[in-house]
Amino acid sequence: MTRLAADNLVVRRGGATLLDDLSLSLGTTGSVAIIGPNGAGKSTLLKVLAGIEKPSAGTVRVGDHDLASLSSTSRARTIGFLPQYFDPHWDLTVQELVRLGAERSDHLTVDAVDKVISTFELGGMDRRRWSTLSGGERARVLLAAVLVVDPPVLLADEPAASLDIRHRLDVIETLTRRGNDRLSVVVVHDLDLAFRFFERVIVMDRGRIVIDAPADSLIEDRRLDAVFKVRFERLKTPDGPLLRAMRDQP
Amino acid sequence: MRGPIHTWLALALALILAVVVGACAGHDWATPADLWRAAAGDQALRSRLLVDWRIPRVLAAALVGALLGLGGVVFQGVFRNPLAEPYLLGSAGGAALGATVALLVPLAMPQSILLPLLAFAGAWGATVLVIGISRVSGAVDAAGMLLAGVAVAAILGALRSFLMLALSDETVSLQIVLSWVLGGVQTPTWPVLGLLALISAGCLGLTLLLAGRLDVLGLGETMAVAFGLNVTRFIAVAVLAGSVVVAAAVAFGGLVAFVGLAAPHIARWMVGPLHRPLLPATALVGAIIVTLADAIARAALPPAEIPLGLVTAVAGGPFFIMLLARRLRT
Repeated sequence: MTRLAADNLVVRRGGATLLDDLSLSLGTTGSVAIIGPNGAGKSTLLKVLAGIEKPSAGTVRVGDHDLASLSSTSRARTIGFLPQYFDPHWDLTVQELVRLGAERSDHLTVDAVDKVISTFELGGMDRRRWSTLSGGERARVLLAAVLVVDPPVLLADEPAASLDIRHRLDVIETLTRRGNDRLSVVVVHDLDLAFRFFERVIVMDRGRIVIDAPADSLIEDRRLDAVFKVRFERLKTPDGPLLRAMRDQP
Repeated sequence: MRGPIHTWLALALALILAVVVGACAGHDWATPADLWRAAAGDQALRSRLLVDWRIPRVLAAALVGALLGLGGVVFQGVFRNPLAEPYLLGSAGGAALGATVALLVPLAMPQSILLPLLAFAGAWGATVLVIGISRVSGAVDAAGMLLAGVAVAAILGALRSFLMLALSDETVSLQIVLSWVLGGVQTPTWPVLGLLALISAGCLGLTLLLAGRLDVLGLGETMAVAFGLNVTRFIAVAVLAGSVVVAAAVAFGGLVAFVGLAAPHIARWMVGPLHRPLLPATALVGAIIVTLADAIARAALPPAEIPLGLVTAVAGGPFFIMLLARRLRT
């Protein structure tokens, strides 16, 4: 069954084509990584799928509905979006931020806020203000605020990129674990994490999808080298191959 | 309403104290005992003057301060910038231009209706213009909007000065217009004061309706959209509501600078940045500031009265510079 689908998406901004006739179909469950070089259109695709940016042409379907015809509140309840950068203008407390996320849904109880605060281990810091939090704490708070309504679809734009490796693993594992019973789509810059943790990997380049395949078969695909303009050495490890990028000698 | 209860008690107490001080102050100082006698219905001339002139004036000043504070919160929320202020962003200037037209141009409508109407149109028009300019020029960031606001305020100020020079003659008193421009609370009759109180309560209710969405907008446009806010429509609605508040403040108090900037800041220190507690707290802080500033305006250089706008500008200018310096450092 299809949960989220894109049909012939085109996005043009100021003469540049960011998405070039892109189509994509995503199921109701699964963890999907989107990878690709800078400027491939990964963030743009995610924002269009989340309904944050409007495409110049093409449609996004959520279940049986056209995303554009959905009210903004029901869209916000169905699709959770984690941005690449988040910096609130006012210095709110952890609890206030989570509660703002919870207000997307009208039938959420106070319990839901308390529950998500304990799930993400924010209990001791729920009265602390955003400016006093570390990067890892901020990532957990943002996850809690987005996931408090338990949206069936989660779109995340590499929310862990600036964290240290342990926090990055924490965040990536939280996101992929959601793929067991929900749809979880994540833009990932670390190829190792993408191939190790996700079921399906989508490779983008210049506004198009170049490869879309299960992670374990894709890692051997030579087209990866061309997309990233490097030569990958596939190192054998007990857990499968590991990519090491080498400068592509002419 | 969240926030610790003693904060609210302290604010309420401070407002009562400010009103008493304001009612005592003047070129003829009264004592709290005089006030008590007057309020109890004493018919002596001094008591009658207190009840008919000074007390309504002091209460009007408090309400104008509350309105200025509310306007400031809405504008800072919409522009997501703690330096935004109706006075700096041209909307107060637009309201003043509207008021000037109402006062100087003979139009087929009673001035009591025309003045608030044109003040509103001016405030709204100027704000939409500022947002439009910053969008078209691509400078949607805080600095871009502030600069656009300063430019619009300058143009509107020049237009207003031109109107004052071109249209005033012996029949229309420049004095009235000038007292607007420099900011000053007129002494209202008790029925007019009642009307002002109703308008202020309405403005508090109106802005409280925006509170939750102002919080969401404060997460940034991307997250606000992701959380289900129709950002473009909400900003339009909020600007309209903010213009109503500014127009009401300008219609009753003229151009009073920096209260809309300072009051939300002080309130944020006390109750935090969430708008539901922030709006009423800012109304209280604004009321306290303007009540005290108005007392200074009336009592500092007797028998003359200093325009209220000059008092708040002298006190608020350094406050703004301090905030600016702190922001530029970080």
